[in-house]
Amino acid sequence: MGAYKINTIEVKELTKIFDKTVKAVDGISFNVKEGEILGFLGPNGAGKTTTLNMLSTLLRPTSGTATVNGHDILTEPDAVRRSIGYVFQDTTLDIDLTGRENLDFHGRLYGLDRNARQQRIRELLELVQLTYRADDLVKTYSGGMKRRLEIARGLLHHPKVLFLDEPTLGLDPQTRRSIWEHIQRLNQEKNVTIILTTHYTEEADYLCKRILIIDFGKIVVLDTADNLKARLEGDVISLLFKNPASIETFRPLLESKNWIHRINVVTSGNNYAAMSRMMHTVSTMSGNMDIGGAMPEMDSRTIGDHTKIPKPSQQKSEQPAADESPQFGGETCPKCLNLLVDKGGHRIPEIVKLADEAGVILESVELRKPTLDDVFLSVTGRNIREEKGSILDMVRRHRIIRQARGRRVRG
Amino acid sequence: MVQPLSGQAIYVVLLRELKRYWRAKARVISSVAQSIFFLVIFGLGLGGFVGGFGGVNYLSYMAPGVIGMGLLFGSVFSGVSIIFDRQFGFMKEMLVAPVSRTSIILGKILGGATTATIQGIILMTIAGIMGAFTPSLAFLAGAFTAIGAMLLITAGFVGLGVAIGSTLNDFHAFQLLSTFVMWPMFMLSGVFFPIDVSPLPLQIAMLCDPMFYGVELLRWCLLGVGTPLLGSLGWLISLAVVVGFDAFMVGLGTYLFSRTQI
Repeated sequence: MGAYKINTIEVKELTKIFDKTVKAVDGISFNVKEGEILGFLGPNGAGKTTTLNMLSTLLRPTSGTATVNGHDILTEPDAVRRSIGYVFQDTTLDIDLTGRENLDFHGRLYGLDRNARQQRIRELLELVQLTYRADDLVKTYSGGMKRRLEIARGLLHHPKVLFLDEPTLGLDPQTRRSIWEHIQRLNQEKNVTIILTTHYTEEADYLCKRILIIDFGKIVVLDTADNLKARLEGDVISLLFKNPASIETFRPLLESKNWIHRINVVTSGNNYAAMSRMMHTVSTMSGNMDIGGAMPEMDSRTIGDHTKIPKPSQQKSEQPAADESPQFGGETCPKCLNLLVDKGGHRIPEIVKLADEAGVILESVELRKPTLDDVFLSVTGRNIREEKGSILDMVRRHRIIRQARGRRVRG
Repeated sequence: MVQPLSGQAIYVVLLRELKRYWRAKARVISSVAQSIFFLVIFGLGLGGFVGGFGGVNYLSYMAPGVIGMGLLFGSVFSGVSIIFDRQFGFMKEMLVAPVSRTSIILGKILGGATTATIQGIILMTIAGIMGAFTPSLAFLAGAFTAIGAMLLITAGFVGLGVAIGSTLNDFHAFQLLSTFVMWPMFMLSGVFFPIDVSPLPLQIAMLCDPMFYGVELLRWCLLGVGTPLLGSLGWLISLAVVVGFDAFMVGLGTYLFSRTQI
């Protein structure tokens, strides 16, 4: 159906190399159609923000190029900047000004005349429901209010394209929901083309028609959310065992059944949270690596006392056919298994019977449809992480990218 | 990629500086109070002992220097505040807009010069109330000339602040900057003692201090006299040095800032 629509964004072989060695973005190409919401899904340091910074002309690509709203990012940076609104990951408001003044500043910077400014500011404050606080200093706003104000500001000059970098990071569920609704409304009412980065799979699922999974600077997969989930045909059955040791005896029995397509070790929370914890663990262990503190994506929930080091015994050798990634070993739920099966409803009795016969006690059995989390695990969990080596490589990569960013800031 | 200057962009950055200055009343009050302490304690205390220099009493002699101190500290810090803009993210908002960096930084420099000059006017008024200047029509004309001189003096120092702020990326550098750059500049500017009675090494150091010429210029405007060392054309020499310093520092600050990415 979208065949007649033009490409608002065309990206060709875009590459950014920091420090001559770290490929933050590695030859990615994709198109975004007018009025589409495309989601960039990927863990921290995957190259999401670097890509947006190149598309917004803040950062010069090492090679490759792109057009935004028909303008080349290399040769027409001014026209590109006029076409885009960019809501950065970290807040970029002047907290010593009021909400209205922040918007007014933006309007003037983009050359809007007085009437246009006043009218649009009124309209947008209404849209993000901040009219009642418009004349208070931004330093008195809550996190969600600041985020809404920034989104409003990004729209003030009527951009054709909006970049949202982690728009709901660190916000509570209600606020997150309301921001999702705002984003959806903007997209529909103003036909703004949106690229949104996130590491919340449910956010990508809710907002984006198509999802681009990016990891280590490369596109792993680009498809609609529905197609991605359809790749994992069948249902997910989650098993909770009473005794972790019984998994080892039960697992070979499951592996012999041809209707079970995959067996996953369950990471607690989602993949990224687990990885963040892992990063934190490594940085606490090594002391001098300032990674934990440098990762704003890590929410407070993940910074607990997760100083457990992955036990070698939990790794590959004992779980051959599975889809787990050993790096997350320290964060797995030792009593859980996820099975991807055909006709899940019919298989539950069979599994229970199998467990009974083997003398394994199940505490709970849960049936659900695959989520993007499952998709993510299946497309990146095994293929990418195991190929590219250890968590320490990843920590190093993070550090270099962070440092490179810091240097850019310094100039 | 040469981008044209945008008057509106320069204006809006300037406007922001003024708004922020107006709201940071505690900062304004504390820096004005600091200057007043110098005027009162040194002017009255040391003044009674020293008497005066070159026919002017000590309070009058010192007043232009203390005004200069307000200008110096106010302008350098307002330039260095681009570190804060970067730290708190607002710099990105300015850099992603379709306006040239030169426009942004010129707005910043004009804004910093304006706020520091406002501070100078406040100090000038207070010094006047304390009796540092002889009220007359000639003085009134001199005071207006002094306001123009203040803008010229501060522009260069905001440029210096921007140059430093574009190079350093660290709050801790503030302390070093204050101790090793600003205080020597202030103390060598001839605020407490005249250059012609100083020992030669100090004289050389003072002649190398751009702030020395700023204070000389203010002294010519407000008192109608300058140091005998530079002669009767001292005001012209001082003006030339101040303008030259402006051109160099604004140029350097703009250049260093334009190299900043993100």
